[in-house]
Amino acid sequence: MKTSDKEINIVFEICGSAGEGTISAGEILSRFMSAQGFEIMSFDAYPAEIRGFGKCVAHTRVSSNPIYSPGKLADVLIALNDNHAISQLSALKKGGILLYDSQPAKPHEEDQSVVARADAATISYGVPLTMLAQKAAGNARGRNMVALGAVTALFHLDRDAFTNSIKDRYGKKKQIVIDSNVNSFLEGFDWTKENIDKADGISFQGVTPPQTKAEQKGEKLIINGNQLVAKAALDADLKFYAGYPITPATKIMEILSKELPKHGGTLLQTEDEISAIGAVIGAGYGGIRAMTGTSGPGFALMTEFTGLSVMAEVPAVIIDSQRGGPSTGIPTKTEQSDFNAAMFGGTGDCPRVVLAPTDTTSCYDATVLALYLAEKYQTLVVILLDFFLSNSIRNIDVPQKPAPKMLNANIAPDAADLDGYQRYKITDSGISPRTIPGTPGGMFFATGLEHDAYGRPNYTDKGHLAMTAKRFRKHASVLAEAPAPVISGMDAGGADSGMGSGMGSSVGSSKGIPDKDGTPKTLDIGVISWGSSAGAAHEAVMTAAGEGVSAAAFSSMMLSPFPEKQLAAFAGRCRKILIPELNYGGQFADFVTKIIKRPVERLNFITGRPMAAEDIVEKIREMI
Amino acid sequence: MNTIPTDAVTSGPVRSGPDHPAVSGPATEPGTEPGTAAGKAAETAAGSAAGTEQAGYLDEKLAQVRAMDFLQYRSPDLPTWCPGCGYFGIMDAFYKACRELNLAHENICAVSGIGCSGRTPIFINSYGFHTLHGRSIPVATGLKLAREDLTVFAMAGDGDALGIGGGHLPHAARKNIDITFILFDNSIYGLTKGQSSSTTPYEMKTNSHPVGNPDTPLNPVKLALAYGASFVARGYAGDPEGMKQLIKAGTLHRGFSFIQILTPCVTFDKTNRTWKALKEKVCSLNLHAPAPDNMENAMRAAENEPYGTGIFYQDKDRPSYQDILRRMQNV
Repeated sequence: MKTSDKEINIVFEICGSAGEGTISAGEILSRFMSAQGFEIMSFDAYPAEIRGFGKCVAHTRVSSNPIYSPGKLADVLIALNDNHAISQLSALKKGGILLYDSQPAKPHEEDQSVVARADAATISYGVPLTMLAQKAAGNARGRNMVALGAVTALFHLDRDAFTNSIKDRYGKKKQIVIDSNVNSFLEGFDWTKENIDKADGISFQGVTPPQTKAEQKGEKLIINGNQLVAKAALDADLKFYAGYPITPATKIMEILSKELPKHGGTLLQTEDEISAIGAVIGAGYGGIRAMTGTSGPGFALMTEFTGLSVMAEVPAVIIDSQRGGPSTGIPTKTEQSDFNAAMFGGTGDCPRVVLAPTDTTSCYDATVLALYLAEKYQTLVVILLDFFLSNSIRNIDVPQKPAPKMLNANIAPDAADLDGYQRYKITDSGISPRTIPGTPGGMFFATGLEHDAYGRPNYTDKGHLAMTAKRFRKHASVLAEAPAPVISGMDAGGADSGMGSGMGSSVGSSKGIPDKDGTPKTLDIGVISWGSSAGAAHEAVMTAAGEGVSAAAFSSMMLSPFPEKQLAAFAGRCRKILIPELNYGGQFADFVTKIIKRPVERLNFITGRPMAAEDIVEKIREMI
Repeated sequence: MNTIPTDAVTSGPVRSGPDHPAVSGPATEPGTEPGTAAGKAAETAAGSAAGTEQAGYLDEKLAQVRAMDFLQYRSPDLPTWCPGCGYFGIMDAFYKACRELNLAHENICAVSGIGCSGRTPIFINSYGFHTLHGRSIPVATGLKLAREDLTVFAMAGDGDALGIGGGHLPHAARKNIDITFILFDNSIYGLTKGQSSSTTPYEMKTNSHPVGNPDTPLNPVKLALAYGASFVARGYAGDPEGMKQLIKAGTLHRGFSFIQILTPCVTFDKTNRTWKALKEKVCSLNLHAPAPDNMENAMRAAENEPYGTGIFYQDKDRPSYQDILRRMQNV
């Protein structure tokens, strides 16, 4: 990748109260930066309540290099609300920049203003946000735009291009709305140009973003994980989606409710999650691709049906976008605490497939793969997203559409099979050729009872063993064609070679965490991670390598079946192993420990924030 | 499952007459499974007990039944229900309805839940899906939305559909999903041996309520009407001809068809819904012809005629869920 002489890597945070336009301002900033050609990763934190003046934070990392994690601390904090911003000061870097309203509607007590609470090293700029918004539009609603104008002036961004980004954002609204926002922005820009003496070193002047090459224009998607899952599902021939509203998965249903009918599919909003997975299994039995999405509480309700999918061998795909748990938990905070529920939830010996995308782009691959595996292996596939992956916004290359073989995966019986058709025929691969209703001569009876090869209830010990073993044999078959785990880090020679793809060739190649075989044969530290923590782990080992630590990161999108051999081989190269994850005790660490049979270091957070590379680096330093 | 082995139809006597509803089924002991040693022994015993003097009778009856040309809808698997169970009558009506509608076997799909009624799809020569307790309606809904070309039946017992799965019925009804739902209502949990269900009468003694059921029973027809089902009917397991007509009408109805079947549980209900009691109480509804879409009439009948059989309500003009989607989406 070509990088300019001058590089940019800045984290912006806009902090305000619900209803102050915090999230909109963050979105406009992200879209502008992407349009300018920078890499972005954005993430919003907001309360579970729709109203009630809760704290909102729009977090955006902007870089001229690839981004793998959102960045723990902000370089720039834009305070739209002093009260909330005070509590956000702890996330501002020492010596960072604070932009605040110097003339708020109600003057603050001395110690209640964010500027008074800021660290002495903070570079603070006071801009009369409320006054300028009043001046521009006659009301204070445009304070967020005034702040963006100030940011544009302060950091030498392209004023006219930014104006266009605002117009694009409000393009469908009334002219007066567009004008108010643009005018507020320009007021902020002009005032700042005239009145602020710049005391920081951040400037976008002379930075050539990596993506401004003409041929790359228009090729970027600004998208979050939920949107990408929906897009992938449509590309992978999804024909039925059933769902029940639940944060953070609802958006997938909303997108598909618009798009599925255009693709000849059906969307069903059900009365509960039990009905949603039931309908998905009904549709899967009918021979079409079907999926549902939920979060922890809904996944818990679906558990009984997950067993039926496995037992009756009916394809089903469930997306579980994890949030704080257990129970209703923390609906708008991210966590990786449904690992055990997805891997082991339910009763009986129940082999299922579990996939966890490691970054935004791999949400696409995981969805395509899940629909393929569910159909081919006639089983349950769970995709573990989390609040962060669902909602964080990246600008990515347009994913390659799935290959034809990914779209037509059912193994149907041939004419000979239909003579005395055994729907649940015992096979080496574990796959029994499957008919769909409407096929003459292929009629069968599916049941959640243990059954014989014809599907008839059968409770003999031999029969149960043979059928259970058959269902488990699918695991080996899945693993044989599943994407390999990704091992990333610095080459033994010290170079970070080019981008690779962590996915198997069958799923298309999206840009994700670079996969490399060149990492040293023996490592001081191996970081093993899963899901959305994998990006931070990759970034951390790169930072550690820069400090002379021999470290590499291992992650696998396939959680069940797990590539145990590769894991054991990787662990064998590591003097110490670190497992960072967003749950209390280390659910994945427990799982890994059982495979590699040695103790590991754990790094666990349940702060509701995504995994930070900085925290992993700090832990690596401790371990050395 | 295409060909019916001869023993599938010879293994059980076919009885009919004034004291017995026309039922067809095997004379196995309760709880025994066909194919198991106990089941086989029971069949053999029943066969030899019949003796040669009955052979002529059986052959004659068999010839009559075969001549009716509906047995091809039966699967070779032997029902696991108790002798005298009302479900044999329901199935008899079901097979005949399929025959008279001339449904292609491969385009029928019967979806069931758990309980004595859950086994039903095993005994039908078609596609079948025996799902989870209470969940036949969601699965049947997904299947129908996926495959509009199929004729989808959902089957459930009273505990199944009104107890554990009671949350699904309103939504399939109000959405007007084009499936035919048959409620095998014996007002007891049979497969778990005699506990109170959602339709067990108040104060009836059961194994879970030995001094009397403290719960007020639900009125399934009233519920279906209130939920917005576009076809609501009630049949009686001792009236195969009536049930056949209802199943046919429900299948032809484009939308959600709700058919409650009153049936005894001969093993676990010796006091309430017995053959004897039902035979005395069941009568034909003859309320609202020629206007079956009169909701007021239907509701009154549902309230006042707990044993009335026939079609309570039918709205033929209401579009099915898929028709609504097509209209709204202009596709």
